[in-house]
Amino acid sequence: MTARKPSVLFLPGGALFLALFVLPMAGLLIQSLRYYEPGSIGSAADAPFTLANYGELFKASFAVFFLQTLRISLLASLAGVFFAFPLAYWIARRLSDRWRVIAIGFFVALMFLSVLVRTYALELTFGATGPFGPLLRDMGIATNGRPYIETLVGMGLLHYVIPMSVLTLLATIQNVDPRLTDAAQVLGAASWKAHLTVTLPLCMRGILAAFLFGFTFSISAFVIPMILGKGRVLFISNMIYTRFSEIANYPSGAAISVVLFVLAMGIVYAMTKLINSWWPQ
Amino acid sequence: MTKHLADDLIRLACKVMNCLVVAFLLAPILVTALMAFDARDYLGPLPPPGFSLRWLSAFFLDSYFLQGLATSVELALSTTAISLFVGVATAYALDRAQFRGKEQLVSFFLSPLVVPPVVIGFALLLFLSQVGVVNGFARLLCGHVIITVPYTIRATLASMSQIDRSYTEAALVLGATERRAFWGVTLPLARAGILSGAIFAFAVSMDDVAVSIMLTDAHTYTLPIALISSMRANFDLTIAAASLMLMGLTVLLILILEKFVGLNRAIGEGAFR
Repeated sequence: MTARKPSVLFLPGGALFLALFVLPMAGLLIQSLRYYEPGSIGSAADAPFTLANYGELFKASFAVFFLQTLRISLLASLAGVFFAFPLAYWIARRLSDRWRVIAIGFFVALMFLSVLVRTYALELTFGATGPFGPLLRDMGIATNGRPYIETLVGMGLLHYVIPMSVLTLLATIQNVDPRLTDAAQVLGAASWKAHLTVTLPLCMRGILAAFLFGFTFSISAFVIPMILGKGRVLFISNMIYTRFSEIANYPSGAAISVVLFVLAMGIVYAMTKLINSWWPQ
Repeated sequence: MTKHLADDLIRLACKVMNCLVVAFLLAPILVTALMAFDARDYLGPLPPPGFSLRWLSAFFLDSYFLQGLATSVELALSTTAISLFVGVATAYALDRAQFRGKEQLVSFFLSPLVVPPVVIGFALLLFLSQVGVVNGFARLLCGHVIITVPYTIRATLASMSQIDRSYTEAALVLGATERRAFWGVTLPLARAGILSGAIFAFAVSMDDVAVSIMLTDAHTYTLPIALISSMRANFDLTIAAASLMLMGLTVLLILILEKFVGLNRAIGEGAFR
């Protein structure tokens, strides 16, 4: 076949992405470089350019939020893969076809579950105001203490990350020939050793992909820390919102947005590159 | 014998962990469903001493929530329609494209999936104010379309790339125009992907908070925005009733997906961000 020119069918998509994605993102970058007069709403149209909005982010009071987001996200995505792997293995290898379909339906439904329903249900079940609040207090857990609130935010993330990781790993495990581990066992390896040296390395691409999905989901989380964090645990996304809604400092909000954007894109790019070079398909 | 002991212990530990994880995932949903029927007018310990439909009726009698629900449904339907049109056209163009940089173009069209939604919302807020789009519904529609289009593009493209080229070629050899071959061959064969794209677009639009919260105004707000502001104000059980309704919607969408597309196939075509 000869090379064809790009089709006119690219027009609607191209126009849409230009108007609603490329131009707004470019505007965001320009806004982040504008000088902001404290107390005003947004920057003046002809405000001079400055890097002050970025410089501000290196101060300790800001850096704390970035580190907190990264730390909780990292833990949640690692825990997600750790909890999901045995579950996915069990579904792929131990369940009958009929039950496997039901299990997949269950996890897909959990992924589709509205994020608001998820956070509300978790707050109701594990939060201080819910029916188990008194029980938790009797057990000696400070439900308003920072460690518990951080745990709750992590649980909120896990409630999405686990089903997502299970489904990612399920596809991977189904592609690993079970006879390979059988062979290792016949040759004298213990079952756990056979899994550690045969199954896990063969599933490495899936494991890293699940981790990547979980991590990028977590660092851009908004509703989960907003509700479960009770104002004491804030993620980067929440800071962008407060810059806009509470103090109308648009240039600063834009600078945080650009940093979050670069962070998310950078992680996806670096991880994909790493996965493809270390574990080629 | 220690070899088998270690195996048995690890197997047992995995079993226990699996049960605990499933319990953790399921418990909040069951508690919420149960509490939605609680007859008490305060948040008390489980189990509720009596059951009633008061919270469900409170939700459906609340004009604030109802207006949000109406806006959400209208917005989700409009979003799905626009997303489908743009998504199918773009996916078809991408599927037929044969030029260098095609891979990069596909990545570009899917890139809103990796951009944090709050960032998209904030960028649109600044941009739409600058170009003078003030209508609340139009602003929300812009935001919802750009976050859902990647889903329709990806699902449709996955379906189209699996179609055997010889079908379309046969139609063309037999004298059909390209247009006729698209409507008569490509579109029907790609219908599963198109449908799952539509379901994803609808679900994402119904659920979105992070983009909508930036673009909403006092008169135009979606159900999730109404719920989140009342959740922050007072934590009562009307929201449990609303949650129950949204869970029903989730189950309905999953059943449609399973019946017409098949879950195995749908998750392969991009349940993931």
